[in-house]
Amino acid sequence: MKRDQTMIEKIFSRASGKDVFAGDYAWLKLNLVAMRDFGGPNVVQEYRLAFGDRKIFNKDQVAVTFDLHIPPRDEKVAVNQQLLRQFAKDQGAKLFDVNTGIGQHILMESGMVKPWDVIIGTDSHMNLLGAVGAAGFGMGTTDVAGAMYKGSLWFRVPETIKMVLNGTMPAAISSKDIILHILSVVRTDGALHKAIEFTGEAVLKMPFHDRITIASMVTEMSGEIGLLEPNDSVKDFLDKHKAGPFDTLTADNDGIYESIMEFDISKLAPLISCPHSPDNVERVTDMKDVKVDQVFIGSCTNGRYEDLASAAGILKGKKISNTVRMIIVPATMEVAMQASNAGLFDIFMNAGVVITNPGCALCTTGHPGILAPGETMISTSNRNFHGKLGKGASVYLASPATAAASAITGYITDPREA
Amino acid sequence: MKIRGRGWCFGDDIDTDQIYPGKYLPLTDKTEMAKHAMEGAEGGMDFIKGVKPHAVIIAGKNFGCGSSREHATVAIKGIGIDIVIARSFARIFRRNAVNTGLAIIEMDEPTRIKNNDDIEVDIITGKITNYSRNEVYNGHPVSPLEMDIMQAGGLLEYLKKMC
Ligand code: SF4
Repeated sequence: MKRDQTMIEKIFSRASGKDVFAGDYAWLKLNLVAMRDFGGPNVVQEYRLAFGDRKIFNKDQVAVTFDLHIPPRDEKVAVNQQLLRQFAKDQGAKLFDVNTGIGQHILMESGMVKPWDVIIGTDSHMNLLGAVGAAGFGMGTTDVAGAMYKGSLWFRVPETIKMVLNGTMPAAISSKDIILHILSVVRTDGALHKAIEFTGEAVLKMPFHDRITIASMVTEMSGEIGLLEPNDSVKDFLDKHKAGPFDTLTADNDGIYESIMEFDISKLAPLISCPHSPDNVERVTDMKDVKVDQVFIGSCTNGRYEDLASAAGILKGKKISNTVRMIIVPATMEVAMQASNAGLFDIFMNAGVVITNPGCALCTTGHPGILAPGETMISTSNRNFHGKLGKGASVYLASPATAAASAITGYITDPREA
Repeated sequence: MKIRGRGWCFGDDIDTDQIYPGKYLPLTDKTEMAKHAMEGAEGGMDFIKGVKPHAVIIAGKNFGCGSSREHATVAIKGIGIDIVIARSFARIFRRNAVNTGLAIIEMDEPTRIKNNDDIEVDIITGKITNYSRNEVYNGHPVSPLEMDIMQAGGLLEYLKKMC
């Protein structure tokens, strides 16, 4: 009789054409290989060095996305993007230029990501695609260059941690609070080289944008892949974006997990990650004396329409504090249009917010909004390492609701009091 | 396939910043990169000055931990190291070694090998012979899949030959 498998093992088995289990090595067929304006130029260089102008394995399964420094902020970035544009043209690969948004989100909105898929890319947060039920990996230059040529890549099947999320999400709580709670338990190295499968009633009920937030922060636990058991919200999203049919994905009953962790989310309070590590998590109410200079809502973790709408719900008819700058950046152009049509931009502009074009924005330095030494920012992104957004600046990570509430008062503020 | 050379010993938890300090990341020339191999590790400067071609690095547990850096394996190869023997390798370093064609092997008690010992490794069977001490150890070779790639000289070389 066939041994039971985890979802990860099932995906790896299908992609390798044989039954594999944690610890096995196998070549996997890839559904998609992505590179971006950062890291991508090195891939092209290595590809050309090794394979010259030989064709990529399949032009419809290689994507180039521009999301970091868009439009280019200096000549070096412009030259890099020029190089990638030319490569995409020569090879016929799909190019998503500076007017589109964050790569992983764009790939999902283009219907290029489905449950069961195995996808690699140059960004550290490729595991965000686990929101759909795909195995997404961030990979190095050589791997991506080789994969673009061959369409497959070697992997070691990772051990998997199963995380069961029970309970109903309280109002005013978002999935950012859930993942910060999990992070405070698992810590930044708690899932080193492992996969995480999220399941349980809360996951099966979770809206799609919340799934993205959870999956994106698997990287902060050092996880290799993170995926959520697909639910109806995935089907709705994929149908809307014409992804085509896909098979259901569930784990077998007796698959072997490295460990199983259960979380009850029904009693969570708003949480915030304090400088300079994502797992340095406190309750928002315990941090309310901290003054903030800047607030950022966006990034691959919290840049969906619902994230913006949650902030708009708090900012509506109000002004942000005159000691605060606030920057809101939709994840993609689709999100921006939706926000615009729903009147969110009017609310933001009336409140005194700066809105910039879709992209990764203030996830790293190099985007407008960089901080001065000694300044403090609340961000909805995923990392708050020292110096990531300016030397000597402090970054707190929280949900869009907490970020918006704090923009109004100028201090870290519990959204339930806004 | 056998690899023979003189051992050069390092300790536990040598991270990629010790193997290849971050300040040299902008370098792209492999010869230049090789000049900084192990520079951040204890005794790294002596290593750079003294190491002869075809030497063997011996290290403790978790060799190559820390941030993913293909420079680390490229620099080690470039300075003339044919194989690294360690108690264990960090997962990402192991992947990078395979992908760049640097031979590696794990063994349980690497401290039995001392500086300058004459070592021979059969990377397929895992047999490690210490001619200086007349000892033989059982190393743990990488998986057959990794071995194929490693022996081809790295991932891209391997793929070129396959297709
Ligand atoms: S927002 Fe940051 S982590 Fe997310 S895809 Fe962009 S650069 Fe990567």
